[in-house]
Parts: sequence; C-alpha cells; structure tokens
Amino acid sequence: MSTAVDLAFLTTWLAAGVRLSGPLLLAALGEIYAERSGVVNVGVEGTILLGALASYLVAVSTGSPALGLLAAMAAALAASLFLGLFYVVVQANQVVVGVVFNILALGLASVIYRAATGDTPQFSSTPMIEPLAIPGLADLPVAGPVLFQQSPMLYATLALALVGGVVLFRTRFGLNLRAVGENPRAAAAAGLRVTRMRLVGVLLSGLGAGLAGGYLVLCQIGLFRETIVAGRGFIALAIVILGRWNPFAAIAAAFAFGAADALGLSMQLLALPVPPQLFIALPYLMTVIAISGLFGRARSPAALMQPYRDE
Amino acid sequence: MRLVLTRRLAPLDGPLAFAALYAGAIGLAVALGGVLFLLFHADPLAAYLALISSAFLEWRGFGYTLVQATPLILVSLGTIVAWRSGFIYLGFEGALVVAAAAATAVALAAGPGGPLAALPGPGVIALALLAGAAAGMAWSMIVALLQVRTGGNAVLLALMTNYLAVLLVQFLVSGPMRAAGDQPQTALIDRAFWLPIVIEGTRAHAGILIALVLAIAVFLLMEKTAAGFELVAAGLNPRAARYGGIDVDRRILLAAIIAGALAGLAGAIDILGVHHRLLDGLSQGTGFVGIVAALLGRMTVPGSVVASLLYSGLTVGAEATQRHTGLPSAVIQVVQALIVLCLLGAEILRSHRLALVRSRPPRGAA
Repeated sequence: MSTAVDLAFLTTWLAAGVRLSGPLLLAALGEIYAERSGVVNVGVEGTILLGALASYLVAVSTGSPALGLLAAMAAALAASLFLGLFYVVVQANQVVVGVVFNILALGLASVIYRAATGDTPQFSSTPMIEPLAIPGLADLPVAGPVLFQQSPMLYATLALALVGGVVLFRTRFGLNLRAVGENPRAAAAAGLRVTRMRLVGVLLSGLGAGLAGGYLVLCQIGLFRETIVAGRGFIALAIVILGRWNPFAAIAAAFAFGAADALGLSMQLLALPVPPQLFIALPYLMTVIAISGLFGRARSPAALMQPYRDE
Repeated sequence: MRLVLTRRLAPLDGPLAFAALYAGAIGLAVALGGVLFLLFHADPLAAYLALISSAFLEWRGFGYTLVQATPLILVSLGTIVAWRSGFIYLGFEGALVVAAAAATAVALAAGPGGPLAALPGPGVIALALLAGAAAGMAWSMIVALLQVRTGGNAVLLALMTNYLAVLLVQFLVSGPMRAAGDQPQTALIDRAFWLPIVIEGTRAHAGILIALVLAIAVFLLMEKTAAGFELVAAGLNPRAARYGGIDVDRRILLAAIIAGALAGLAGAIDILGVHHRLLDGLSQGTGFVGIVAALLGRMTVPGSVVASLLYSGLTVGAEATQRHTGLPSAVIQVVQALIVLCLLGAEILRSHRLALVRSRPPRGAA
C-alpha cells in the first residue's frame, strides 16, 4: 500500500470516527449530569430513540431540521420527566426502571411511527443538517477533513462538552449537583433540595439523549428505523465511566468509541477476509474492556443509585 | 393546586391493601392501553376480550402460551437466583442465544453421518440441553468473574455481552454453521431430537414440564436449603454476610452459574422445541422480559411462574388480536411495560399518601 493510500485511509477513518462519536458524546454529556447528581439513567437508550422519532416526524412534516431538533428536545424532556419521577420520587430500582422504560420506548416508537405513517410505511428521508466546512482550516491535509468539515452539531457538541466541564467544576450549580451525588444528607443539611437537584440532573441527561437522537436522524441517517439506536445509549453509559464522570475526558472516550465504530466501516471497504460481525462487535468489545476495571477502578459519585428523600 | 406526597404513619402492609394497589395499578395500565387501542380505531373491550380468549381459552392458543412461557419462567428463575444473591445480571439475552447455538451444534452433530450419530434420540436431547446449560453458564461467568475480580460494572458489562452474543450467533449462522440456501441459518435438526409434544393438537412441548420441575427445584434451593440462605444473605447485605463467614464472591459466582445455566436451558429448549434450527434474531428480548416477570412476581418463584404465564399470554393474545383487528402488536408491548411501571409506581402509595393541596406550602416543606 502506498503512502498516499495510507493517508487517504487514515483521513477517511478518523473523519468517520469523529463523525460517529458526536451523538455518543452528546448522550454521555447528559448522562454525566444525572450520574453526578446520583442517578444512573439506564433509560437513555429509549430516550435517544424517542428523540430520534420526534425529530424525524417533525422534520419530515415541516421540512425544517431546526424544528426537528426542537421536537427531539421536547420529547426527551417529557420522557425524562417521567423517568425522573420514577427514579427520584417513587425511588424504584434505577436499573429496573431504565430497562423497562427502554422496552416501553421501543413499543411506543413502533406504535407512533405506524400511526403517523399509516399501514404502508413511506421511507421519505428528512431534510438534513449539512456539514459545515470551516474556510481555510478545512483545506488542511488530514486535520481538515477530520476536524473542520464536520456537522455544525459536532461543533456545538464539543462546545457543550467544554461548557459542561466549566459548569460542573467552576459554578455554584455544578458544586451543588456534585454535592447531591456525593453526600445527599450533607447537601440537604446545607439547604439543597436533593430531589429537585436530581430531577434537574435526569432532565439534563434526557436533553442530551434527545439531542443525540435528533443528531442521528438529522445529521447522519436521515431516516427512522426502530433499530436506529442499536445500543448507543449503553455505550454512552460506558463513555461516562471511561471518562471518569468528567466532560473533558468524555470527549476523548467518545472519540475512542467513534473511531472503533468507524474502523469497522473503513475495514469493510478494504474487503479483508474477516467476518463483518467482528468489526460491528468492536465498540461493544471495547466497552467490555474499558469498564472491566483493567484500566484501574473508576471512582463513581459516592451516592450513585442511593435513594434519598427530602423530609 | 398541587400534588403532595406525605409519609404515612405506618406503611400499608395488609394483604387487602396490597391486592387493591396491585389491581389498581394493573387497571390503570390496561385503561391507558385502551386509550392507545382507540387511536387505532379498535374497540378496547373487544380487543382485550379477543386477547384473553385467544391466549387462555382456546386450546391451541393456550398451548402456544405455554410454549412462550417456558423460556420466560426459566429466565425469571435465573433472575431470582442471581438478583437475590446480589448479582444484578442483565445478560440473560446473551446467555440464551449462545446456549441456543451450543444446543444446535450438538443436535446437528448427531444427525446422519455426524460424530454423534450413534447416540439414541433421548440421549441427544439430554446432551443438547446440557450443552446449552453449560454454554449459558460459561457466558454468565464472564460478567461474574469480571465483577468479582476487577470490580467492573456488572450492569453495563452484561448489556454489552448481550450485543456480543447476538453478533456471535449472526456470525455462526452466516459463516461456519450456515446451511445451503438463501437464509442465514443452520440446517434443520433431525425430527428425532425435537422435544415431544405434551398436549395433543397444540405446539406445547415438554419444555414446560422441565421449567416447572426446575421452578420447584429453585424454590426448594432458595427457601429450604443452607446454600440458598447464604445466597440470599450475600445479596441482602454483603458486609454482614462477610462478617458471618460467608464468602460473598464465591456466592456471586455460584449464583451466576445457576442463573446462566437456567437461561442456557431456556435457549436450548427453544431450539429443540420451537425453532429446530439456529437463526439470527432468535430471542426477541426474552432475556429482558424474563427479568420483568421475576419483578412482577416480586422475586418469588410462584409469583414469577404466574407472571410469566400472564406475560406470554398477553404476547400470544397480541399476535392473535393483530391478525383479527389489525392492532399492531407493539401496542401490547407498550401495555406490558406500562403494567410494570404502574406496579413500580404503586409502591410509593404503600408508604406515602398522595394528596391534592390547594395552596403552595411554605418553602422547604415539600
């Protein structure tokens, strides 16, 4: 293989990796808020799906991707308010609620999609948010296509990650949120409303997941299918762990997963004599290795999954 | 006006209150489902009646309900053993499909010209079931070992292994185990190795008997033996159990072995009793629904058996209703999930009172 081909392969692969990491990062960023407040939101998988469906239906019917994105946010907020009630107010087992909610979301998405498109599903694609080449920088070799010819959603997501880091570690809100997730009793004694804070955490995680769903549909696929999410919500949970509940580190973790995902796509193009399932399995395998504790034990927020009731 | 939760002086623990809450929660979910039915212009009452009669009141339908309930019962038994021992396993889906592959491999090896061709039919069935149990066991041990040895997050690990298992089966049926033909699937298993039908005129096979026998075995294990007591003690309070001289890590591994074997049997039975060949998309969420059935049964064996029968009845009924009224069967999936959520939600009414309060309470009181 000549150097030129190598370089082209590298560029395609990395650019695809960055592209695929976008929705993962967005969902993971939201999840960080929930987990920092003490709630593991396993329902992100279902929330991404509902966000994707809402953005698809609204974007197709109005022709506006922006409205689609708004719809994804609205659907995700409603879903995560529902989830938050179960997590924080009812205080049912968080894993159980999340798993059952994912089943519910899958059923609901299928029902709503059928109700909206009729008995003969039409495969009309949505208007998409087109990639934005940043003048000047986009023409750089390798770095240009990888970093500067991406979707505006990606730039926004990266900005959100940076803002998220500042919010979590440099603002009063972030301090309060983390206090609730570390020691709710002490936080309550200091006058914080634990329940309300955790609800906010869950809502933010829902917002991230909903936007991730919109991102998938409006920037990457342009269609809706029930299998569109394919475990990305769970991978986002793994990114949170690998990123040590830190938005800055989550950027790197998300990119690692995006790159693993993209490696499969790029390798399939090379037509190597390797089963395609191996490449599809790569992100899941990476998740297992990442969270199996081989990289040292990650210290989660101390009150993660521990119920607390304001009295 | 706003809704306010206030703690009850004493939680509602009486059987009557309990039954009322359960009935109310299921009623609410069924009513919400009815609203969904209306969306598809179906008469809710007629739809529910058709659903119940096709799942429980007709022989064929009831037989099919038993067929569907079999893997659910087995997975819910596995859930009871694992979760009550503190091993929050969510990987039954993966254990089930991996076991299905193992059972298929054994049954195919016993076909004409295969290495096991000399074995008699019942021997092959037993060996295939054992292979399935062993495969399920090995699969659940991956997660258990990682949790015990390195402190990995069992919930996420198990979810990821589910995807890996499904991809593994996809690889097997499109590569090494693929039979000639258009579909990615293995050859059909010899009829001599199918599980015998136990109710004439239906598709109910001997798997349901295996499931019921194992239900009794698990009940005895968890309620009547020292080993079961240690498992539950390890789950209730690991620190206290350790202090009491119980090796919690070993209990978790034991729980994983039993749970994986039960899920593995579910997969093997589905191959020998229903599919008769390995194919992609074999388990449509059975591994998760089994967990839900165990929850609905409040983690007790009798409760889980009943919940499994009801849940599979709903599923069978949903398919029949879809054929009759055109109602998409996903609607029933929604109703099933709503039932679980309503039951989870009802829990809070046992310890709290929900009241409508006219004005905003003073700050800090909520």
